[in-house]
Amino acid sequence: MSEGNLPQTVETDQTPVATEPVDPWARENYFDPDVERHPAVRVIRETFPGAILDIVRFRDETTIHIRPELLLEICTLLRGHEQVGMDVLTDITAVDMLRLRQAPRFDVVALLYSLRNRVRLRLKAGIDEGQPVPSLVPLWNGANWLERETYDMFGIVFEGHPNLRRILLADDWDEGFPLRKDYPLRGWKEFPVYNTERTVGRVRTRWTGRGV
Amino acid sequence: MSTPVSDFDLVSDGSTLDNSPEPPKTGTLTISDEVTRPDGSHQLVLNMGPQHPSTHGVLRVILGLDGEVITDCDPVIGYLHRGVEKIGEQHRYAQVVTWTDRTDYVAAPMNNLGCIMAIEKLCDVTAPERAQYWRVIMSELARIASHLVWLGTHALDIGALSMSLYCFRERELILDMFEIFCGARLTTNMMEIGGFSRPIPELLPSMVRDFCKVFPDRQQEYVDLLDANPIWQARTKGVGIISPEAAVSYALTGACLRGSGVNYDIRKAMPYLVYDRLDFEVPIGVHGDVFDRYLVRMEEMRQTLRIIEQCLDAVENDDRPLMAYESNYVMPPHKGTMTTAEDMQRHFIWVIKGFSPPVGEAYFAVEHPKGENGYYFVSDGTPLPYRWRVRSPDFVNLSVLPHMAQGAMLADVVALIGTIDIVLGSVDR
Amino acid sequence: MGLIDDRFDKNVFTTSLDFLFNWGRRSSLWWLQFGLACCAIEMIAASMARFDLAERFGMLYRASPRQADLMIVAGTVTKKMAPVVRQLYDQMPEPKWVISMGSCANVGGPFDSYAVVQGVDQVVPVDIYVPGCPPTPEALYYGVLELQNKVIKYQTMAKKQGAAAAEADRIANRAEAMAAVRG
Repeated sequence: MSEGNLPQTVETDQTPVATEPVDPWARENYFDPDVERHPAVRVIRETFPGAILDIVRFRDETTIHIRPELLLEICTLLRGHEQVGMDVLTDITAVDMLRLRQAPRFDVVALLYSLRNRVRLRLKAGIDEGQPVPSLVPLWNGANWLERETYDMFGIVFEGHPNLRRILLADDWDEGFPLRKDYPLRGWKEFPVYNTERTVGRVRTRWTGRGV
Repeated sequence: MSTPVSDFDLVSDGSTLDNSPEPPKTGTLTISDEVTRPDGSHQLVLNMGPQHPSTHGVLRVILGLDGEVITDCDPVIGYLHRGVEKIGEQHRYAQVVTWTDRTDYVAAPMNNLGCIMAIEKLCDVTAPERAQYWRVIMSELARIASHLVWLGTHALDIGALSMSLYCFRERELILDMFEIFCGARLTTNMMEIGGFSRPIPELLPSMVRDFCKVFPDRQQEYVDLLDANPIWQARTKGVGIISPEAAVSYALTGACLRGSGVNYDIRKAMPYLVYDRLDFEVPIGVHGDVFDRYLVRMEEMRQTLRIIEQCLDAVENDDRPLMAYESNYVMPPHKGTMTTAEDMQRHFIWVIKGFSPPVGEAYFAVEHPKGENGYYFVSDGTPLPYRWRVRSPDFVNLSVLPHMAQGAMLADVVALIGTIDIVLGSVDR
Repeated sequence: MGLIDDRFDKNVFTTSLDFLFNWGRRSSLWWLQFGLACCAIEMIAASMARFDLAERFGMLYRASPRQADLMIVAGTVTKKMAPVVRQLYDQMPEPKWVISMGSCANVGGPFDSYAVVQGVDQVVPVDIYVPGCPPTPEALYYGVLELQNKVIKYQTMAKKQGAAAAEADRIANRAEAMAAVRG
């Protein structure tokens, strides 16, 4: 039989391209489009099955929305894990989601970093007004001032914090929590004038909107 | 127990406060002068108030002393809290950068860089390579400027009065370069989204070269004055030791962390701009005391000069574009704005209304001279950021002061505040 | 000074002595080291080697307000800091002057927010306003030289005629300055 007349079957490689790296803890998994390969996500799902509410990947960052009551446990788990090892706390802050969604009102954001894997992870816990969040001070001493600042600016109470009082504003500041969305930029109260030797005229515009 | 006195006893010279309203007491901490504790020891409470020559700004430290030894230390900050995060919510993305100058005012270009890179990350814009090299050059010059202020004030507080004169003399050279580049010495606002919109001045590369030639000798002067000086060593060696575990636990970054032996430098760990192509080293300390952090920062200045020279070699005689030309997020070039209708309309909308980045959030951190300076933007698709957060390194680093001050002497507090390298604008924002 | 204050009317004898006292005052103004924010760095740079505000003008910075007669408020005054500023001003002995350096101290600067006092002149009476953000050391020089012009007119021995006369004097000075500007 001449081979020229028979259709030649081209041997194509039908096996799918291997996207699974050999090592499930390798650094590439942190940036894999399939978020379930993210080592921290796998670790959290194994230990706390219902804790993850949402996972967002945007511009090489991973944000995991978790239940607020499990924040301390999840951070302890991630910090102590051999391979994941999120041992550095970078930041704790909050976002007032008043204009973006109905409930919950605040998003407490904890940003973690792993020294051995050189990756960041953001944990977000949505809480309502008045709902406390477990404090991360037992894990990291650096959380102390960061949580004080979040309390000062938003009024979020961290349970288990040794010394939760105002840090950036005066201790007797009674005008509320400034970074909330319903707090005006210029504040509620005027400043008492101490200078009575020379009166200075002050023109105060009514415009409090966006800057130009 | 003696009668408690309030922390601000308003002693006035007589004439002026009769009619004015009673100023509020700053804080509800009433301090008593001297307390006898249950175990019989005495504690004197000393207020190192917001106005103090050695506190690098308006920092207040309330110290509890047992003789000369410090038992309690409570830093009170917030005397420079200006609410920039709230102000940023009312201004457009390109205007938000203006307030970053004022947070850490000794290294303003580095703050600008962090903010701009965070906005670029949000919008997925990359500056062209020539602009990236120049960004590195200007921000590394800012690193030297910041370390010079640190060294001058730190040495001044400890007692080496002439160091401040020498350091500010070098800093003037750097400020001249900033002035040629962007017009301002201190509050520079020099970085723009997508690169640089104006050409690099012709004099600038030669000025930077001259600075790189002159600075090593000047730095050797500082080393000759301080390194082997027995007074300097006695005041800094063994003082303020932070163990590596404590450093990581207190979320320290920058020289405070590297002085204790932990190798974390964002330029090496997660390189940005052109740092992955540059050849430089990151100094790591051993003991974690004030002297080690001093050595780490001095070595950082030398490594910075290496970086600047490599970048200059790459872009000294270069005429590639400096600005990314993308349609939505970047200001169009001046020539196009003046001549073509499309660019003029884009410029108008960009300036007056502002560009609307995609919905999402982005965090970007740069290796600031003080540590990790991170900017977190939450965008809701409008031209104004929904939430803007500055992760300032000084704020987090300052929380280690009580830990270091335990058991230290009163005279060491000045060295400890200096070694953390704080700038109150960045602490309080 | 207490014995000869407020005792005499203006005459050639007292004005010459006034000139002598004021010349001494303006040539050796000691300022209270009171840097709050970014302007403090420019104030320090102004007193350093290139600009040398300190040595050439006889000015010196003192850490204690009891020994100072000039307060340069350099930087943003926040609502938390304002009582402290007032207290320091009250602790300074007469005669004392205040320079408000930078736009934050003039009018609150770019920070129109809940925590910032819009101008230090709501807290202490200001003599000279130096605009800028931050003002370059040359601008601070100009402010200091203007203050020296003001100091030379200070009246020690002539009878102080009260706040109304001081206000009238201030208005007359301003009219004179505006006339000089208009030419």
